[in-house]
Amino acid sequence: MVNLEEIKKEAKKILEEGKVKYIIGYAKSSNALMAAPTFVKKPEDIDKLIWDPTCFQNLVKFLIDEKRKKAREKEPDTRPIGIFVKGCDSRAINVLLQEKFITREDVYIMGLSCEDVGVLDKKKIFKKLKGEKPEKIEFDQRKNIVISTKEKTIKIPLKEILAERCLECTSSFPVISDVFWGDRNNRSPKEPFKCLEQIESLSQEEKWDFWQQQLSKCIRCYACRSVCPMCYCDECVVDSINLAITADTTAEEKAQKIKWIEKSPESSENFGYHLVRAMHLAGRCIDCSECERVCPVDIPIRFLNKKLEKVTKELFDYKAGLDPEQPSLVSSFKDEDPEDFIR
Amino acid sequence: MKKRTGVFVCHCGINIAGTVDVKNVAEELMKHSNVAHSEDYVYMCSDPGQKLIENSIKEHSLDSVVIACCSPNLHETTFRNCAKAAGINEFQCEIANIREQCSWVHKDKLKATEKAKKITHSTVERVVKNKSLEPISIPVTRRGLVIGGGIAGIQAALDMANSGYEVVLVEKSPSIGGHMIQLSETFPTLDCSQCILTPKMVEVSKHPKIKLLTYSEVQEITGYVGNFKAKILKKPTYVDPTKCTLCDECIDVCPIVVPNEFDLGLTGRKAIYIPFPQAIPATFTLDIANCPGLLPIACGKCMDVCEPEAINYDMKPEIIEEEIGSIVLATGYDLYDKENMKEYGYGKYADVLDGLQFERLLSASGPTMGEVLRPSDHKVPKEVVFIQCVGSRDPELHCAYCSKICCMYTAKHAMLYKHHVPDGQAYIFYIDIRSGGKDYEEFVQRAKEEDGLVYLRGKVSKIFEENGKITVWGADTLAGKDIEINADMVVLATAMRPAKGAEEFAKKLKISLDKDGFLSEAHPKLKPVESVTSGLFFAGAAQAPKDIPEAVAQASGAASKAIIILSQDQLFHSPMVAKVSLNLCTGCGMCVDVCPYDSLSLKDNKAEVNEVLCEGCGTCSATCLRAAIEVKNITPVQIYEMIDASVGG
Amino acid sequence: MAEEFEPKIIAFLCKWCSSAGSDLAGVSRMKYPPNVVPITVMCSGSVSPLYIFNAFQKGADGVLVSGCHPGDCHYIQGNFYARRRIALVKELIEYIGLEPQRFKMSWVSAAEGKKYTQIIQEFVQELKPLGPQKKLRREK
Repeated sequence: MVNLEEIKKEAKKILEEGKVKYIIGYAKSSNALMAAPTFVKKPEDIDKLIWDPTCFQNLVKFLIDEKRKKAREKEPDTRPIGIFVKGCDSRAINVLLQEKFITREDVYIMGLSCEDVGVLDKKKIFKKLKGEKPEKIEFDQRKNIVISTKEKTIKIPLKEILAERCLECTSSFPVISDVFWGDRNNRSPKEPFKCLEQIESLSQEEKWDFWQQQLSKCIRCYACRSVCPMCYCDECVVDSINLAITADTTAEEKAQKIKWIEKSPESSENFGYHLVRAMHLAGRCIDCSECERVCPVDIPIRFLNKKLEKVTKELFDYKAGLDPEQPSLVSSFKDEDPEDFIR
Repeated sequence: MKKRTGVFVCHCGINIAGTVDVKNVAEELMKHSNVAHSEDYVYMCSDPGQKLIENSIKEHSLDSVVIACCSPNLHETTFRNCAKAAGINEFQCEIANIREQCSWVHKDKLKATEKAKKITHSTVERVVKNKSLEPISIPVTRRGLVIGGGIAGIQAALDMANSGYEVVLVEKSPSIGGHMIQLSETFPTLDCSQCILTPKMVEVSKHPKIKLLTYSEVQEITGYVGNFKAKILKKPTYVDPTKCTLCDECIDVCPIVVPNEFDLGLTGRKAIYIPFPQAIPATFTLDIANCPGLLPIACGKCMDVCEPEAINYDMKPEIIEEEIGSIVLATGYDLYDKENMKEYGYGKYADVLDGLQFERLLSASGPTMGEVLRPSDHKVPKEVVFIQCVGSRDPELHCAYCSKICCMYTAKHAMLYKHHVPDGQAYIFYIDIRSGGKDYEEFVQRAKEEDGLVYLRGKVSKIFEENGKITVWGADTLAGKDIEINADMVVLATAMRPAKGAEEFAKKLKISLDKDGFLSEAHPKLKPVESVTSGLFFAGAAQAPKDIPEAVAQASGAASKAIIILSQDQLFHSPMVAKVSLNLCTGCGMCVDVCPYDSLSLKDNKAEVNEVLCEGCGTCSATCLRAAIEVKNITPVQIYEMIDASVGG
Repeated sequence: MAEEFEPKIIAFLCKWCSSAGSDLAGVSRMKYPPNVVPITVMCSGSVSPLYIFNAFQKGADGVLVSGCHPGDCHYIQGNFYARRRIALVKELIEYIGLEPQRFKMSWVSAAEGKKYTQIIQEFVQELKPLGPQKKLRREK
């Protein structure tokens, strides 16, 4: 069992020793169902830290901001950043290491096992509350959640309101860490890709109708991209901001800078954006589902990424983020890669 | 500034104009905002056609041209030179292929014309975004490397050395000579193989320009055309060739006997040995794998008896590094593995031999001093069955290809057998007789008529030993009957395979192989000795099964190609290479992973291109998630515009 | 009578094998329908998924990517990377409900003019009943 006091003790120690620049962790927020990211810089602030199923955010995204900030500083503080990671988040760190975006010395990884639980899906709880606002929540034996609203108090078994990804999670503990709390029991869900079955069983036209309906909702706010720890490009290929312009770029070329996808949220462009994003996340997406969580129009983005995760596993026996030393999915191949689809 | 592109549509007589309305294509392209001039002409590649292009470039101040004509594989160079002559950069000229990919494959004139317009339009879009590029110049190390010391390697090395260039010749076994030195007599003239090869071997050993490294293996080749670096492992022979007097004393005392490779196991040799009397270099080699041991010295007898003190147990493997400008690869062949031919009793019955073993039996210097005797009981075989296409032309179970030389050498074997055993009978099972080549057909006819060989068209179904005889069951499909022969000996014309280890070697050198494992040439017709890696050439059976005259001819061809490189002060490399947008690169290194030429590396967390190594394949560009790397003059922006034009309205 | 639907195909052909193979089809005067417009690239490994999506967005009814047979790549292994990448694209576009027949990959060597011809013939036949590709097409 993860003991919060032990976590705080370690956090305090490394801050006092000056071992880390600061610690990115979770704290209570004004929203009872959602922990907020917090940056602990002083040992006396460690009591803010919490660890419970409301800690669903993937904090790894903040490492990207940190890297950018550091690049701008003249004399940057080169100490590592302490960061709390769950199993999924730790795989994101591995991908960043694999892609040399960060180095191992940049981070002090504080691993938290989700053990037999996981994190909440806010949307599932809202459904259960039927519009009532939660005031206070408690966890009972890590089996149930007890939610109090103005009118009533209800008790819901955790497994009913856990995030889908947690129910399908195969490694609920960090695969890379400097300190670690909790157990390292591998979970083996019988059907790790069960969620895809419903779409996969549709006819081709039904598939199209489903995605057409979902993706036409997209307003191209790019929240999915902003929250994604893998979307760290300085310039997204679908949304050129002309960083590529150099001294020998002519004015005409600048004007004609390639636009693979138009900015307008039309069906063809929305498809273009989401297909390209899915391709770019193949072998990199670690299924933290942050993209789907932040989507303001409830597009089931996870089903796109999860599909490629499944294909990648089945065709190439590749899983993202397990080892920072493994080559990237698309920059490697095996002689025996399938080719039955090739004429 | 807007480009001023010229479009020139070729009729190619009626080859294009018969199916494509060329005037209409020219008119249509004139509407393009970047096209300043457009016209059609009957033969653009003719002298007046080229003049027309040159004049138009000057007259209309064109800065780029598209020639809509035949495949760029044919006249791209012609038209680029023509553009250059008119004063514009050669990379501002592109070819729209409207013949092979349009007029020749379609019938409907209207539709073919529409397609020709799209192809030409797409090419205009490309050229409009082409940059003027200058070929990248690179210096040349004027020395050659030949890998493999068989007849092909020997010939290539001699040709290069006789042209005045230093050559390093590397051979993995203790002597040069390859398989040819094992042969008895050669078809169709029946001159003795050793008699014609040994003078060339001696010439190699005495040539002041040739550095011979035997018992050595190339471990690594880095660099690029004109500037290769080879790492060569010289294995210790434990015998100093300058001291060894070839007295044979060591052989007499050596207690270890192992199968002799030179006689393909028909005889034995000692652990210290000379492969054959005319070996070059003429020295002994201590085969450490079979020696009882040097560390500590387990036997030491050879050293004890060696009067000139040529034996040195302290000899160590040596890594030799050589800088060279061009390479000829002549790694040769081996026969198809015994393991694969169990159905013919090969490897099971002593009197079932392969072609090379039979060559040794026929050879005057062979184990029987040229007498044809059965290995099992040293009796003269009175009935011999020769089987062709063993492992060749058998796509289901073995090799799909024809090993090419077996028809001829089987005829020779049978003929020579008859010369040795005039009262013997030779049967030959064959599928077809392929005797293309100067005097080859006459040779086969002579064998049939003068030596009374019995040719049986058909396959052998079973071979087994019975009462000291080898029974061969087969069919004569011409006579339509089953055949049973109680033979004294069977000789299999086994398939030729790339030399053992050639595959790993090719992988290490990043040379592509064909489906059968032979070296894959750059063009099956027009570049038969060139590999796809520039500066690397092929000779001999490593590229495909071939006989001696062909191997020699190809070796001279490869040598002349290698000399073309060595004779230049500097070389030019295509400037269509990868270019990194440093602002976009995040330094993830995926491009570095996929580059087949190691032309990419990370420097200060950004990808960096070594332009002389880059071949412009663009795999990096498709792999990069940030669109931070592209190949000059075939950039994603250009493809984007080309897709637009190709889809059309 | 309405004119028969003529699908538009964009073919990304490797310069060294498939483009040369289609040249051979021409030299041998084989015949195939004029629905395909080739774009010759240096290697099938250089075909970015962006090119494929873009062709569909611009209204291509079918897209073909054709490279060298495994082990036969002019650039040693570019086609192996292509094989992996294209497998992902293929799975993805089927998953979102685009007709799988609209996207093809093939290995065509410089000697396989006949195979190239057959592939185009088949491709056109398969695309005709599907009608125009509107799903990913950009409104003009």
